[in-house]
Amino acid sequence: MKRLTAFALTLMLMAASLAARAELTIEITQGVDNPTPIAVVPFAWQGAGSSPTDIASVVDGDLNRSGQFAPVGRADMLGLPSTEAEIFYRDWRAINTEYLVIGRVSVAGEMRIEYELFDVLRQTRVHGGVVTGPVNEARMLAHQVSDAVYEKLTGIPGAFATRMLYVSVTRVPGGNDYYRLTLADSDGARPIVLLESREPVLAPSWSPDGRQIAYVSFESSRPAIYRQELATGRREQLTSFKGLNGSPAWSPDGNTMAMVLSKDGSPDIYLMNLASKRLTRITNHYAIDTEPTWMPDGKSLLFTSDRGGRPQIYRYDLRSGNTERVTFEGTYNARARVAQDGRNMVLVHQRDGSFHIALLDLVTNRLHVLTSTQLDESPSIAPNGSMVLYATKYAEQGILAAVSVDGGVKFRLPAREGDVREPAWSPYMRR
Amino acid sequence: MQYISKALVAGGLVILTGPLCLMGHAQSYVDVEAERAAAQSSAASDTSTSADSGTTAPPDPYSVQPAQSYPATSYGVGSAPAATPMGGTTAPGAAPAAAQGGQNLGNLFYQLQQLQQEVMRLNGKVEEQANELRVLKEQSLQRYVDLDKRISGGAGAAAGSAASASASSGGSGNTTITMPPASSGSGVAEQPGEGEAYRAAYALVRGQQFDSAVQAFQKFLQDYPAGKYAPNAHYWLGELYLVVEPQDLESSRQAFMLLLSEYPGNSKAPDAMYKLGKVYFLKGNREKSREYMDRVISDYGSSNSSAVKLARDFIAENY
Repeated sequence: MKRLTAFALTLMLMAASLAARAELTIEITQGVDNPTPIAVVPFAWQGAGSSPTDIASVVDGDLNRSGQFAPVGRADMLGLPSTEAEIFYRDWRAINTEYLVIGRVSVAGEMRIEYELFDVLRQTRVHGGVVTGPVNEARMLAHQVSDAVYEKLTGIPGAFATRMLYVSVTRVPGGNDYYRLTLADSDGARPIVLLESREPVLAPSWSPDGRQIAYVSFESSRPAIYRQELATGRREQLTSFKGLNGSPAWSPDGNTMAMVLSKDGSPDIYLMNLASKRLTRITNHYAIDTEPTWMPDGKSLLFTSDRGGRPQIYRYDLRSGNTERVTFEGTYNARARVAQDGRNMVLVHQRDGSFHIALLDLVTNRLHVLTSTQLDESPSIAPNGSMVLYATKYAEQGILAAVSVDGGVKFRLPAREGDVREPAWSPYMRR
Repeated sequence: MQYISKALVAGGLVILTGPLCLMGHAQSYVDVEAERAAAQSSAASDTSTSADSGTTAPPDPYSVQPAQSYPATSYGVGSAPAATPMGGTTAPGAAPAAAQGGQNLGNLFYQLQQLQQEVMRLNGKVEEQANELRVLKEQSLQRYVDLDKRISGGAGAAAGSAASASASSGGSGNTTITMPPASSGSGVAEQPGEGEAYRAAYALVRGQQFDSAVQAFQKFLQDYPAGKYAPNAHYWLGELYLVVEPQDLESSRQAFMLLLSEYPGNSKAPDAMYKLGKVYFLKGNREKSREYMDRVISDYGSSNSSAVKLARDFIAENY
């Protein structure tokens, strides 16, 4: 924990002044019972001066945050090898390390990171690779190293080289609150404010290629849906109908956006063709239909509706036009998000008066409650399906937290100030 | 919710006529986003959906939004504010119109609202019951498949006697324990306490506590060596020695043999003979096994004992 805090402090110094206020830190609250000990040796810097970014500490932090690994502290390392020839396996066995990651960093125009993974017990090289990219993306390159190491050791692709959106609210006495829509790396580092407003900003969501985002902003005194290009910041107002304009959700092919509008009466789900801007209404019910989300195959949508008297998740089949109820356990199930496998669905589930994040297996119809906190909302699932990011309350503060889909690993990302909510985990970033 | 109620109070009479009040009423759960939006929009557009009535609403103090001097600024990842809009959709402005319906209309809306709530509630019930029905169907199919498997696995062992309850054993493959009806008619009177002891021992078999059951039946035979249920106890011991870990073929053989020699006329004799054949087979003595199987058929072929069919099947399968 001490290392992480130090690490976070370094980050804060590095972060731009605009962004420093939205900085998140990480507190791991629960890991697996026997995390695998792994040593990430500081990568050798092959250039003038000292390395601009400590690649190994980013990898170290990623593996630690997964809860499945217990990184070895640098003070405990008996040597700092950067090539295979420099490795003395007995040094690492002596401190009970099972795996070893070493690497070398050089810059020639762009940054080049070579890394190698060794099995200490078998004394063999398990994997090695090279990632290259712009120097100012050094942290993202380090996350790519983490992804590769994680996949080699767990068989599951890593999702460290991804980003997230969240909304932070800074309360100002007198009622002039600030709302900031922030983009950050999946570890909360490098926050960038994308939108700053005195009016609420809500429901950020990602385009499937990770290049654009959509959100709801009240800046024009009524809710409106905007989409914004990440690279340029240019944006477009998609809707501003009277009544609700909410919950934008990009279709998996990126051509259509599902949204909630109440322009024709009660809130219903509409699809907007993003090229022609033509709207198609897909639900028509006097009950409230809201929070649409797409199944990964794009053939159906899930949404929350109280057409059965209590909010439950329903599925709308785009081809047949049929709507069927999906959730039956409990009296409140809302805001579904589905993993890329199309099988694991996360949602907000009420049990004993508290709102928890739960996982519903769409094949077996078994529901597992993942969290034990009380006011959990807005679950967002990692592109590799391993972790769920959600918003909750901790010590009277709105914070983000994460839990693994098996409930075994938990961590919190408290903000330094203000409330943080509505996280949206990005898809895999295409480079 | 307090936003909504504020807006509703501000709406005055319009509350009863505007469809938004339905929304407000049904809105007890909607997410923060919807709540905020409803609060804002109900203040801004003030239940203007009932434009068809053609009358003008009383001015709503909340409909005037305080102008926000602080403009929202969007940034790219390079954190430079972007001023140029991406495209050009303009939103249609909301026509400010509202209804001033009469009391009748108000009542009508109230009733409609009640009906909608009621239909929603019933809708939920139907959905849940349809789901329960689906689950029950799946379960009953599953049960049928299980039962079918067990019956065919026991090669019809349970088919003969209606009173039999079968419990397949854990350790020894296809062995099926068939409960023989507690035989009477042997002329032996039940001794005091005998029935209870027998039933207690049998309960252990039902509970699959086979080791304890063996001890219970051994104790039973010590206490009531000539009891009414002694043949049954011998039979059960024979069965149990086959399913305990480790399997005790010799004890099983002796138990069945004892039953056959001491109580040749007992109703369990055919089953015991069949089992004896099986025990010999398990011991590797195919000749002896076949001998007993043939005897089951020749001695009891005319009876309706299920052992005869079992013996035929056994021969067909193994010889």
